[in-house]
Amino acid sequence: MLDPAHGGTDLGARGTGGIRESEIVLQFAAQVRTALESMSFQVMDTRQGNENPSFDDRSAIVNAQRGAVFVSLHVASTGLPGTVRVYVMSDLPGVTDATGLIPWERAQGPFVPLSRRFGDIVQGFLAQRFKGSPRTAQPAAVRQLRTTAAPAIAVEVSSVSVEDRNALDRMAPGVADAIARGASAFRPLYVVAAVNPGDRP
Amino acid sequence: MTPRWRVWLIGILAIAVIIAGIYFPILKKHLRQTKQAPAVSEEQARRELTQTAPANTGGPVTKAKLFWSSGAGDGSLMPVSVELPLSKDPTLRAKQVLNTLLAGPVDAELRTLPPDAVLLALYLLPDGTAIADFSEALATSTPSGIESEQMAVDSISKTLEANVAQVRWLKILIHGQEVDTLAGHLDLTRTFLVNAKAAPMIAAAPSANSANVGWSADAATNGKATPVAPPRKAAAIARKLTPAIPPGKLTQPAN
Repeated sequence: MLDPAHGGTDLGARGTGGIRESEIVLQFAAQVRTALESMSFQVMDTRQGNENPSFDDRSAIVNAQRGAVFVSLHVASTGLPGTVRVYVMSDLPGVTDATGLIPWERAQGPFVPLSRRFGDIVQGFLAQRFKGSPRTAQPAAVRQLRTTAAPAIAVEVSSVSVEDRNALDRMAPGVADAIARGASAFRPLYVVAAVNPGDRP
Repeated sequence: MTPRWRVWLIGILAIAVIIAGIYFPILKKHLRQTKQAPAVSEEQARRELTQTAPANTGGPVTKAKLFWSSGAGDGSLMPVSVELPLSKDPTLRAKQVLNTLLAGPVDAELRTLPPDAVLLALYLLPDGTAIADFSEALATSTPSGIESEQMAVDSISKTLEANVAQVRWLKILIHGQEVDTLAGHLDLTRTFLVNAKAAPMIAAAPSANSANVGWSADAATNGKATPVAPPRKAAAIARKLTPAIPPGKLTQPAN
């Protein structure tokens, strides 16, 4: 599941040269989709045009899927231009309420270790391509990840402050390839629990 | 009018013209200086009114450790020692260090918080939770992005940890309200762990809401906050990649 962040009236980070995060991430998502599909992944998006689903709407799309992984795409305002960082949810213990349901507000809880592993793998591939990027995923309280019931990462490219938009465009194939390779390497580690025959679909 | 009065009248008028001639350039200069003076924003004016002057606390001058950007461009922070007359009262002390943090470092490039942001209020609860209420400028002027927003929260959290031993948790409000995110990314509905080994104020356990979530800043070597060491349950899960228990169904999102 690809999540190009922001959209609609929410432009996200804006550079002095008129670069808008909400537009750049759509282009990145298209390239990541192509890279993933070339590795036989089925790909869905939380948005395909200039709309802005809420955090919960985006989470609802991925939470309805089984065996999905979630990749939220961002462009930072700051940071060393030409670097890419992967963020995973900082600790959020998995809990269930009295009815055995996972609270929506903590849906990421049971998936934090998986997300961390997925994030480290993707960050490792990104660090090989983009010098100056960290080697492991960073923990952060990213709002979008908290309500996502799947292994989930946020990938943030630096930054909208570049003078020439082409500098960001040139990064897209490398970012797409790293995410696709990461997803491929993570796939054998992600075993979705089998559904009991008595369970409702 | 007699000729004598006419002479007096002309004399008075002449004196008035001379005085105006002297005063006019002074007035003109004054107006020019006023125009050149930087405009004071509403937020800055409010800050001047609301900020506590560090010099008025009566406390001994001590070296406070404030965390601003390291300048490396990677989101890391660097401690800077600043001499402040810190109060012994933890609430006042927290206000002092946060106001100094907001005022910014000598090099404006190393700021972590927007110059217009104001600390409107700070409360320290008995369980060690510091509730910091900032003006809207913190949300509207912090550069949008995970890295920049995390750096802003980290700088507040680490500055409190280094200077106010009683602060265990941090909750950030914007203009008295809980908001979803700081500037579009970082979750402000949660409470951040500042210092797990905070000095007790009174014997009270943290609230259930804040007990399980947060960041720990004490393990950071490069100025980045790290997640709290997983509690018992999470530590057990960490050994396996697949949750032992299927996560089950989700509740509906709260509207």
